[in-house]
Amino acid sequence: MRPVPPVPLARPRSGRRPSGGRIVNRWAWLALPTIAFLVVFFVAPLILMSLRSVTDPPNAGLRNYAEFFGSEADVRVLINTFYIATISTIVCLVIGYPYAYLMNIVRPRVAGLLLIAVLLPFWSSLLVRTFAWEVILRDTGVINSILLNWGIIDRPLTLMRNTLGVIIGMSQILLPFMVLPLYTVMRRIDPELTRAAANLGAPPFAAFRRVFLPLSLPGVIAGSLLVFVLALGFYITPTILGSPRETMISRFIADQVQQRLNWGLASAMAVILMALTFVALFLASRVVRIRDVYGALGDES
Amino acid sequence: MRPWFRLSLIAATAGLLVAACAGAESPAPSAAPPAEPSTGTSAAPASAAPAADVCTNPAPAAPGTTLTFASYGGVYQKAQRQAWLEPYAKLTGVQWTESEDSANATIKAQVESGQVTWDVVDVGNDFGLERNADVLEPLDFSLIHKDEILPGFVGPYRVADITYGIVLAYRSDLTGGQVPQGWADFFDLKKFPGKRGMYDYSAGGIFEVALMADGVAPKDLYPLDIPRAIRKLDTIKDQLVFWPGGAKSQELIGSGEVTMSLMWNGRAWSAKHLDNKPVEIQWNQQILTADYFVVPKGTPNKDEAMKFIAWATCAQNNAGPSQFIPYGPTNVNAKPAPDKVPDLAVSNVNDTTAYFDDEWVVENAQALDDAYNAWKTK
Repeated sequence: MRPVPPVPLARPRSGRRPSGGRIVNRWAWLALPTIAFLVVFFVAPLILMSLRSVTDPPNAGLRNYAEFFGSEADVRVLINTFYIATISTIVCLVIGYPYAYLMNIVRPRVAGLLLIAVLLPFWSSLLVRTFAWEVILRDTGVINSILLNWGIIDRPLTLMRNTLGVIIGMSQILLPFMVLPLYTVMRRIDPELTRAAANLGAPPFAAFRRVFLPLSLPGVIAGSLLVFVLALGFYITPTILGSPRETMISRFIADQVQQRLNWGLASAMAVILMALTFVALFLASRVVRIRDVYGALGDES
Repeated sequence: MRPWFRLSLIAATAGLLVAACAGAESPAPSAAPPAEPSTGTSAAPASAAPAADVCTNPAPAAPGTTLTFASYGGVYQKAQRQAWLEPYAKLTGVQWTESEDSANATIKAQVESGQVTWDVVDVGNDFGLERNADVLEPLDFSLIHKDEILPGFVGPYRVADITYGIVLAYRSDLTGGQVPQGWADFFDLKKFPGKRGMYDYSAGGIFEVALMADGVAPKDLYPLDIPRAIRKLDTIKDQLVFWPGGAKSQELIGSGEVTMSLMWNGRAWSAKHLDNKPVEIQWNQQILTADYFVVPKGTPNKDEAMKFIAWATCAQNNAGPSQFIPYGPTNVNAKPAPDKVPDLAVSNVNDTTAYFDDEWVVENAQALDDAYNAWKTK
């Protein structure tokens, strides 16, 4: 019997061509202006900010950091930030995965409509969307007015100024960042594979769980990372939709910069946030292959 | 379509989009319908000060002088523009550029970097004190009529341009026919059920009103007994709705989301007269405070800026904005628009009126803010 050629799996590309030559060639020099731009406007300010955290006020050393960790409110808000970011990521995943899966299995025209439905809010202002949520969720808002008028409830439901409101708002805003990487990865998964599993006797859910799900994992990781890191930096939405108990660290950083004019402490807080994000990513990389993300976000040529 | 043609088409479209977005960046100030027409700034009895010139007939500015005025935007800045900037431009030929994002941090950033673009800045009562001397120009009191300014509202680096009150505003239709008499009623959830609006700023009056509600007399407010204020605040903490700025406070009480709110009197007035909502003001126990003009250090138009500030705080001109919004004059000889007089904070001063101790508040800003954040986020 002739040997069956191996089934090509959706495998992330590494930085090497099959022949073993390096992908970086002379055209890579075109990237130089972009790299220069990033260095000047991104890397340099980050370095300057980190320096300021230890030099403002003069000879501060680690005083700003000690001040931050010594403040109960600051630490509480920091923990709360990671907590809310995590919950938002999970909610986005729970909503986004079925949505991306749906986009994957319907006809291309319907998939296009679903894509537009996800992208349209993406193109409107974040502030407008947040205020729209406020109008919907507050005590005198749309939902409560309808429910009160129909007599279903007699006192307004507290749908905002709590964690629920914040999560609703943030998840809706961050959903495109979860759906798009997921969809990109799912699209490249060969449908023959799940069919093959079914042919070999797997019930539908097992076929999904053991073939499709692992192959979609790079998308899950990419989307979750994107949503998580973005959520950590949110502060307008939690401020408008949440109570002060849901304050996120970026709000404190902004207050230190704008009201207290304490830029040394603000820089220290920013450095702490950045460092903890790196730690979170590092821990994530121990569990899943972060390298797979590059396969998910890039297109295989 | 040829590849290069397609590429240039895409580039052109992208360029257009970017240009359109950049152009749309700065929205016009929120347009509130102008208040009732008035007969123009009223003339006050002539002051005997030698610098009367700058008040009625300021010297024309050097041609091409552009002054940058930074304030807080919206209806407030519009009133300042109509009452001060435009008439002054007619008298002296000065051109005005405006910023609607006045912020202490921006002043500091400009001075620190040596790129000072703002000439006259409207700041809150927490700025312009001695400790900000390193970023501000000392005011020119040979021009400004210091003795005519309300006592306590002028300093070496700042002079108040408008006064306003931090008041208890309430929805007359949601308080069951009763009228709250003061801050004690603000904290009384049994007598007046409903949510409470509060300014989300540690130095915005939250501690002061809590202490007054707990029975502290206005003259005994400072130094603030923060633990006592926090104990009082804890009794209504779950019912507090924090607003970050004036427009939001107006919207909160207008929509009925809150039954009572700590508000700036101008905003409460706007909710009643511009939004036509049943909002009333309780003037008892108001905190009378002011916004101030300062001049960032190193501005190239220092002399012209000083001249303008002197002109705007003269008796003849100071009450100009009161034609449009009920914010009071700071010059004791100024005559506000007659129809606004009952709505001004300065007209409703009585024994219960409180004042910020700006020096104390700025000295202890850190401690105040830490205590506020620690309480707020718990």
